Amino acid sequence: MARPLPNYEPVGELKFGQVGIANLRLKSLDDAALAQELKQKLDTAPQLFQRAPVVLDLSHLPQLPDVERVRGLLATIRASGMLPVGLAYGTSENEALARALDLPLFAKFRAAYESAADTPPPPSAEPAAPRPTPPPPSARSTPPPPSATRGAAGLLQSQPVRSGQQVYARGSDLVITAVVGNSAEVIADGSIHVYAALRGKAIAGAQGDASARIYCQDFQAELVSIAGHYRVFEDIPSDLRGKPVQVWLEGEKLLLARLGP
Amino acid sequence: MTEFIVITSGKGGVGKTTSSASLAVGLAKRGKKVAVIDFDVGLRNLDLIMGCERRVVYDFVNVIHQECTLKQALIKDKRYESLHVLAASQTRDKDALTKEGVERVLNELKDEGFDYVICDSPAGIEKGAFLAMYFADRAVVVVNPEVSSVRDSDRILGLLSSKTRRAENGGPPVAQHLLLTRYNPVRVAAGDMMSIDDVKEILGIEVLGVIPESEGVLAASNAGVPVILDEASHAGHAYDDAVARLLGEERPMRFLEAPKKGILSRLFGS
Repeated sequence: MARPLPNYEPVGELKFGQVGIANLRLKSLDDAALAQELKQKLDTAPQLFQRAPVVLDLSHLPQLPDVERVRGLLATIRASGMLPVGLAYGTSENEALARALDLPLFAKFRAAYESAADTPPPPSAEPAAPRPTPPPPSARSTPPPPSATRGAAGLLQSQPVRSGQQVYARGSDLVITAVVGNSAEVIADGSIHVYAALRGKAIAGAQGDASARIYCQDFQAELVSIAGHYRVFEDIPSDLRGKPVQVWLEGEKLLLARLGP
Repeated sequence: MTEFIVITSGKGGVGKTTSSASLAVGLAKRGKKVAVIDFDVGLRNLDLIMGCERRVVYDFVNVIHQECTLKQALIKDKRYESLHVLAASQTRDKDALTKEGVERVLNELKDEGFDYVICDSPAGIEKGAFLAMYFADRAVVVVNPEVSSVRDSDRILGLLSSKTRRAENGGPPVAQHLLLTRYNPVRVAAGDMMSIDDVKEILGIEVLGVIPESEGVLAASNAGVPVILDEASHAGHAYDDAVARLLGEERPMRFLEAPKKGILSRLFGS
């Protein structure tokens, strides 16, 4: 009697894949109106919506409803013919709701389907800081180009920073030994040193450090900013143009002066 | 009533931004309240052509992401008070634009009482170009008298009649105009450039203007002065005619014939 060979094949195969799924974003709590709207959807395209899985997104409601309320909403959706399969977007309250309802939470749902425009930026993405004046243009942290190296002395950028590029030295100084082009942005939480022409924008003290300074060898900047105090150069003063210049903050005043003799 | 006009082409380098700047200035010169928006996020140029590149602090993307107000981002032209420039962001890409965001900004311009909003489209048919044309009431398709430009424009005309708000809502179609740029009558006469009639026949829409190839265009671009302000340039006059036609005036087409050479220039060369 031959024993059956042991079966090494797993019973189930677990794979991750992407599926398209409908996201129902509620803007207000009105069961009757919701039922009506969903019915219209079903009527226009029954093949598409009948028994279609739906993720319920509560993030655009002014206030997160309680468990019973959400249960009611899910029933409304189910009654329309669609099948709610989870909740979208995870704040911790949302997660608690999903747990209470024993539903999965599609935490990255919105992020995957929308541009960053609608999603609140992660708290660390923008150098949020005490900003006494209107903030300078977006200083989003972009990873520095591979040509940049970081050490105890701060971030060293030895390749030109081209138009449209951003270099951000988070938590340190930024030293640049090549040209900063027009409409390029160099940003540092500390000071910025440019041993070449600075033609773009320089934003020092991006987290609010008022003692940060900007130094450059050949001043042609479009904008300089320290700790949120900024100045736009539509015309560069002739005594500064092309000269070595330093920029610093004295109280609320942004000052510029020639460096050296 | 605000009119949204997209300046588009499909192909790059045919003169969209030059045309956007000159048409905007021409309208403002006639007292209209005009905003001109650069949709070419990541490769912005309109600010250079308009000569306001050093005054850009906030841009279109900042307004869309509500990082500043529209007022903060609108750059007032120094020559015409009623003319405003909304620059593109150089550090972002086209994905920074959203349909809802663009719609909100355009609605705000409408509420501000602008007469015309000129949308300077990027080349291509991707997101930036799509959003530039989506809300348009009118389209000015910029085309060079050569086959690849004409084919790309044909493609754009197709998209204008299917992928715009007017097309989707079943309203009146987007009004379409052709703006023929870099027209060189000498080369047309010699047979190596397509004529205005050739282009018209292929594309089958009404011609708003013919801008002759002109050295003035390059000089004006580099100086940050839209060529329509160059009194000495034929291209400037041709743009002025185009603006007049845009406003419903009748103007004869000029600069379609090669200049006749006089006996002296025949003898000594021009």
